[in-house]
Amino acid sequence: MNANEIYNEIKELNLNYLMLAQQLIRADRETAQYRLGVSKDIAEIIEHLTPGQVLKMAGTNMVLCRFRFDDSMLLGLLAGHGRDRGTSHTHATILASAKPVESIS
Amino acid sequence: MRNKSVVTEAREIQLAAELIRLGARLQMLEAETNVSRERLLKLYKEVKGVSPPKGMLPFSTDWFLTWQPNVHASLFMSFHRFMIENTELRGLDAVVKAYRLYLEHVELNGLECVLSLTRAWTLVRFFDANMLKVTQCKCCTGHFVTHTYDLTNDYSCGLCHVPARAGKTKRQASATAVEAVAAVA
Repeated sequence: MNANEIYNEIKELNLNYLMLAQQLIRADRETAQYRLGVSKDIAEIIEHLTPGQVLKMAGTNMVLCRFRFDDSMLLGLLAGHGRDRGTSHTHATILASAKPVESIS
Repeated sequence: MRNKSVVTEAREIQLAAELIRLGARLQMLEAETNVSRERLLKLYKEVKGVSPPKGMLPFSTDWFLTWQPNVHASLFMSFHRFMIENTELRGLDAVVKAYRLYLEHVELNGLECVLSLTRAWTLVRFFDANMLKVTQCKCCTGHFVTHTYDLTNDYSCGLCHVPARAGKTKRQASATAVEAVAAVA
């Protein structure tokens, strides 16, 4: 993968992410906040981005969304092979919803 | 209490109908809306097609402490806490949003829907009345529902230390038996 390809892939990912986030927030803001793991302020900012702004934001060589599950316990539960998938996912959800959301400083 | 405004009443009836669809019992509707009892009865029959169940609501906090209900109650409370901490939703709205997330989780993972909307609502009321609280598990740091006056210094949750026979109900046993028979045939 050369630099140009990487840039295009990341741009595509960013664009997808921002558009999905906008759609979710417009449909149901509180549930979207839960799904995206963002605070009220960020949800508001994303909701009011214009298509032009979305394009501009997406066009960088950095990924805009970040890895949320920075906890080995949680990762193990989500990816591991516990004795029952439903139960370990429930456990993971209980842990994940207590994580602090991304917020703007 | 009689409603003065027709628009408010329409909104309340809409809300009541939505709650009925989610599985609310009559007592909950009476507590959360200002619609009269007769209208609620009629509405219930219209939406569900059957008369509402009679009798009192379950009033024991112990139900939430047995293994499977505790897991589901803790799951619901984690959604509810998220709503209270991160959004402006309060009261019934927060309960309904959290309950929808709970339903979605149950459906996605093929679990049994243990917690009804009325139970979830009662659970939140128990929290408000300080009869139940959440305690942090010392293994996984998750928050789980416990009695307020339980000794919880060294608490570990039912998911970190699963009891030997937890979740192995008669219903599940018969379901796996049916599957096994189907696999053999």
